[in-house]
Amino acid sequence: MKEQLKIDFEKLLETSNFSKNNIEIKRKNFDNFIEKGFPNRREENWKFSDLNQIISKNIKNLSFYNDLSKPNKIDQSIYIDSLEHNKLVFVNGRIEKIQFDYEEKNKIEILDDLVLEKSNNTNNSLLFLNNAFVSKYFKLIVKKNYSLQKPVVIYNITNKDLVSKSINLKVDIFLEENSSLKLIEFSNDKSTTNFININYNFDVQKNSILKNYKIDNNSNSNIKYCFNNISQDTNSVSEIFLLSSGSEFIKNEINCNLNGKYSSAFVNGVFNLNETKHHEIKTNINHIVENTKSYQLIKGILEDTSKAVYQGKIFVDSKAQKTDGYQLSKAILLNDNTEFNAKPELEIYADDVKCSHGSASGSLNEDSIFYLMSRGLNYKEAKKLLINGFLLDVVEKITDSEIKNLIKNIMSLKQ
Amino acid sequence: MLKIKNLKADIENRSILNNLNLEIKPGEVHAIMGPNGSGKSTLSNILSGKKGYDISGEILFENKNIFELETEERAHKGIFLAFQYPLEIPGVNTNIFLKTSLNAIRKARGEKELDAIEFLKLVKLKAKELKFDEEKLNRQLNVGFSGGEKKKNEILQMSILNPKLSILDETDSGLDIDALKTVADGVNSLRKKDNSFLIITHYQRLLDYIKPDYVHVLMNGKIIKSGGPELALELEKKGYENFN
Repeated sequence: MKEQLKIDFEKLLETSNFSKNNIEIKRKNFDNFIEKGFPNRREENWKFSDLNQIISKNIKNLSFYNDLSKPNKIDQSIYIDSLEHNKLVFVNGRIEKIQFDYEEKNKIEILDDLVLEKSNNTNNSLLFLNNAFVSKYFKLIVKKNYSLQKPVVIYNITNKDLVSKSINLKVDIFLEENSSLKLIEFSNDKSTTNFININYNFDVQKNSILKNYKIDNNSNSNIKYCFNNISQDTNSVSEIFLLSSGSEFIKNEINCNLNGKYSSAFVNGVFNLNETKHHEIKTNINHIVENTKSYQLIKGILEDTSKAVYQGKIFVDSKAQKTDGYQLSKAILLNDNTEFNAKPELEIYADDVKCSHGSASGSLNEDSIFYLMSRGLNYKEAKKLLINGFLLDVVEKITDSEIKNLIKNIMSLKQ
Repeated sequence: MLKIKNLKADIENRSILNNLNLEIKPGEVHAIMGPNGSGKSTLSNILSGKKGYDISGEILFENKNIFELETEERAHKGIFLAFQYPLEIPGVNTNIFLKTSLNAIRKARGEKELDAIEFLKLVKLKAKELKFDEEKLNRQLNVGFSGGEKKKNEILQMSILNPKLSILDETDSGLDIDALKTVADGVNSLRKKDNSFLIITHYQRLLDYIKPDYVHVLMNGKIIKSGGPELALELEKKGYENFN
């Protein structure tokens, strides 16, 4: 794989007009990735999901060069039509459409051809890979005091032309003071066995609100990693909802820094897995200053031989008095061959804090099924009602009612 | 309506019911009384088709053996069990559950399913009759309900589903006097010439409000004595031990 990496990296440099500085940064990241490689289970963060093994098992002849010179057709049938929204469409890793018809043009700024100017501090090898191979990246700035009229949907589409490729995307979102944004990431994959590596950076300034809904619901054989870095200033709110269901493998990693007082972060997630799917949610919620709050609720339904992992970390700095941190994870295992791994981690250096965690997993309650069947529902209907009820609990946490309805529809949870 | 012949039930090689015989005719109210562990709840579970028992004998409902029928098919035929411990079902709205249940049964009977408006009209009426707080119908099924509210909810379900045979498994336990009276009124209002009841209880108290036609004493998995309402009073006086 190393040989392929080198050839593909040189090809990228040859075919792009990067500046000397750009190239230098990219080379550094490339060398770092070559040295570390894909993460494996020897790293604590990856102990339940050995990505190196998963990639070699699922993807034959992975290649890293992605020709972005030719436009791809957008399959418009996958657009969400029940909701008016702004669009940003990626097809096979290339930006194909930017449409912000609902917004005041001077209140937002869209940059779609940025090249990495500096490297962030990290030892995350997948960020090295992303930094080395991402060609152009996208940035949205929401200006001070502006709330977007309509949600933004980022469509991440891959079509059947894409096979065994490593795709790297980078999106930066900057919310200036007193602004707000609802962002839906909606993926639709008809491609096979690619490695899709996405890096989001959210900067949420004072009094701003970010709502981010990530929907991975259509079944596909891709392996995905999505790293989300969120920085929050005073009195800001972030709300994240993850529907983790469609891809063969996906790890959503959320690193959230509550840097400003009275800032709060909500992470709610649903695993709905079957067959051999293996998904992970990894969170690092860092309470850096006092009076910050975090809340995490993760639920999973696991069928066949699927596997879900939740590693939830709450870090409380010694300065972060009056922190309120909560996390709970629950899974229903529909048969004996499924696996749910939960690893709650609390690292607390302040003494006046309220933190709690819990985790539970088990099978469907047969007494509950008997109860529902005694009221005329057959086994299948009773089971579905119980599962839907179990998951609905998480979906109900979504604060935007329009998007909540959309997600209920997508998950067929409409009662 | 219901004929139980030589019903035997074992669970993990332990005998629970032992040659139980019982016949309930249309319009009759039967009470089964018995001490803890006598097999009362097992009988109600088996009538509703709960799995996990080794059973033999015959249960005829409207002259057809229902041994092979699934739980929901028995519900479709008109058998209703009011649970001793109604289950909490998180995330499932009570109203929506009731509508799903009613329509599943109506559909199986070949009747027209009710739309949302027709259903709400019906449920409002029934809730009012039972003094059941309507607001609770918009909550998750039995979640956070008090013991009394859960039992009332069972009776509400019964009155909406309008079954032919209602089995009340210790519906009186955990009820205060007012709730007991409301529940009894609910049952009495459903008493018709075609509807039968099997009331399972420890105490004679409920039978002050719901007058049974027959009282049976169940001990060690067998009916050891049957009689009229006076048998309940006798039991209350003497205790179960003297029937041994």
